Amino acid sequence: MKRPISIVIWIVVALVGAGALGGIAVHRGEPLNATWFVVAAACCYLVAYRFYSAFIAARLLTLDDTRATPSERHDDGRDFVPTNKWILFGHHFAAIAGPGPLVGPTLAAQFGYLPGTLWLIAGAVFAGCVQDFIILFCSVRRDGKTLGEIAREEVSQRGGFIAQLAVLAIMVILLGVVALVIVNALKSSPWATFTLAATIPIALLLGLYLRFLRPGRVLEASFIGVALVLFVVVAGQWVADSPSWAHVFTLSGVTLAFALIAYGFAASALPVWLLLAPRDYLSAFIKAGAIFSLAAGILLVRPQVLMPPLTRFIDGSGPVFAGKIFPFCFITIACGAISGFHSLISSGTTPKMILRESHARFIGYGAMLMESFVGVMAMIAACAMTPGVYFAINSPASIVGATSDAAAATISSWGYPLQAQTMTDLARAVGEQTLLNRAGGAPSLAVGMAQIFSSTIGGPRLLSIWYHFAIMFEALFILTVLDAGTRVGRFMVQELGGRVWKPFARTGWWPGILISSALIVGAWGYFLYQGVVDPLGGINSLWPLFGISNQLLAAVALVVATTILLKMKRIRWIWLTLIPMAWLVIITMTASYQKIFDPNPRLGFLSYANALGAQIAGGKIPAAKIADTQRVIFNQRLDAAVTALLAAMIIVLIIEALMQWYRILSEDPQSVLQETAYVASGWPENFSGASYTATAAEPDAPAMEG
Amino acid sequence: MRSVHVETPGHVGKPPALAFAIWIKRLAAKLWLGIREWCGDSAYERYLQAPRTNSERSRLLTPAEFYVERVNRRYSRPNRCC
Repeated sequence: MKRPISIVIWIVVALVGAGALGGIAVHRGEPLNATWFVVAAACCYLVAYRFYSAFIAARLLTLDDTRATPSERHDDGRDFVPTNKWILFGHHFAAIAGPGPLVGPTLAAQFGYLPGTLWLIAGAVFAGCVQDFIILFCSVRRDGKTLGEIAREEVSQRGGFIAQLAVLAIMVILLGVVALVIVNALKSSPWATFTLAATIPIALLLGLYLRFLRPGRVLEASFIGVALVLFVVVAGQWVADSPSWAHVFTLSGVTLAFALIAYGFAASALPVWLLLAPRDYLSAFIKAGAIFSLAAGILLVRPQVLMPPLTRFIDGSGPVFAGKIFPFCFITIACGAISGFHSLISSGTTPKMILRESHARFIGYGAMLMESFVGVMAMIAACAMTPGVYFAINSPASIVGATSDAAAATISSWGYPLQAQTMTDLARAVGEQTLLNRAGGAPSLAVGMAQIFSSTIGGPRLLSIWYHFAIMFEALFILTVLDAGTRVGRFMVQELGGRVWKPFARTGWWPGILISSALIVGAWGYFLYQGVVDPLGGINSLWPLFGISNQLLAAVALVVATTILLKMKRIRWIWLTLIPMAWLVIITMTASYQKIFDPNPRLGFLSYANALGAQIAGGKIPAAKIADTQRVIFNQRLDAAVTALLAAMIIVLIIEALMQWYRILSEDPQSVLQETAYVASGWPENFSGASYTATAAEPDAPAMEG
Repeated sequence: MRSVHVETPGHVGKPPALAFAIWIKRLAAKLWLGIREWCGDSAYERYLQAPRTNSERSRLLTPAEFYVERVNRRYSRPNRCC
């Protein structure tokens, strides 16, 4: 009896999901309610998890719960810790969810709500979740080895080196672009700048508390920290209202860029317990709270989606960033659908803590579905505001003009009506001097979130508090990515440097720490600075570069996954990784080619450099600006070279993989699977990884020696 | 090998109101302990429980030493994504 009921329920879920998705796709005219998006996404995720991930688990990977995982075989209470699957899901989700799924969909909303929403759902189900799940499985079967190590063993030595190089490249570009998002959110905003600056002494205070006063008491320290952070969000208003203090915290983009570079250097070189770790604890709690609040707000308010399904900018002429819907919608969405960076988490901490192989499905596939849902919420928040307002916030001054009147006239001429007064009123309502030309996605997402939150609690009176809460939330966890990424980048530089001169690899050697910190901060700081001074707003050049590098790393992960599946003799189901891999290679290669060679100066790096060169030669650039223009020309050529290098790396890796695949298919005895040997699990079936928690909660629980 | 505890259904056979109260209490305790584990608050307790040899047992880290060592290890590899 149970089975027919289950079949009926799943048929209903599938039909409702298909109906909602169809409704979103074919709807035209009146604004659509956000509930359609939530229902479509939720039903698609449920069906995908129930059937597609189960199919992968059973047929492709044949997960085996009788096999001891690394956490059982190497249990040391430090890295290898058997962890309850729900808690590990929380760990894994907190690690993979960064600013990408919030910023990417917000920027991609320039094409309309439809393409981005469809890719967020389909991309996650068929590519992103599959990548995270399979790489997690592969790492669990290899004692928790990293993606680079797995690539070296299963593809080739060169493949492993390319994977490591790709990780360093993506790290540098990622840190530069997320820093630019913060700069664009904070510039000329004393309230937001004060709030974020105040989180640094709060983190230092928590660091000292956790180190000396109450070692390791993360929960109570985090409660204190969150209370202080919420207080400084409110206190920022007093700073903004005080002429003398507002002057101190009103900073230009260049000043903020240098402040962030100095912060990154300090966070990398200082002891990790002092600044980095306590900031991360704060960020994790506020991130979880804000994401759940946004989900609850969308369900309660059910806002109307005012953006059309498709805008005129699918032709590539968009003001937020240049490029046609193909391939730039996919490149821009990035992490919300598939992120190469996730493969580093799936082959990092998580495989060392997983209790049973079957949990890889829930944690690997399930956490990525949740990240995709965060992306859908960001898309809703961006599309719930008037299109004219969205374009005014996200477009650079060189396209829409620097004043409300100019922006309103330009944007209205595109067919998206906007009154100049609307922007002035909105800026005043959120407590900002202006909201114009704030490219990067963070301010427009904050406006969207603030509108949703204030419709639930506080009304228009609290709009400014909610706006700055949202900015603080975004900036806080972007800063966490920045300092954690800088530190990891420092270790990578030290490791590479150690190959040339051994003492450089010693992570406790101060000259090595300072030099490697300066190198990694200098690398991302350069990209940040060029973004800040870029006349086109920086995001136009750097976000696609970040998207390309991220998607290329995903292609690297899928190449590794495909190679392993071939070695496992799963040739019949190889299309499960081969198709997403081929798709990623196609979109990244197309985007790379267009970013380098496209004749449109807004899109092609080289044509922009040539156009500026021609302006200098033609005497159209004032003498005082020639040096700046030559710097922009150099930056464009540098971006072209970096893009070409990334594309070359993936081509070399694919050639390496094709040679390996040929050896596997021709049954070369040297092409063997490098899994660790089977060891039977000694844990009882119902062990959930909560040994001491059961003791604490239930003193009468019987104990078994496993 | 780590010692393993298995839960027992403590509310079975109790009056419905009492069984419900026990169930709620257990749920709240699980939630609280889950949050502690998620944020790393209970990491030291976990460390003390890990199986180890006699020589390892004689040189256990203090809570402060363990905390510093733990965050140093945790932030030396990618653990926050884009």
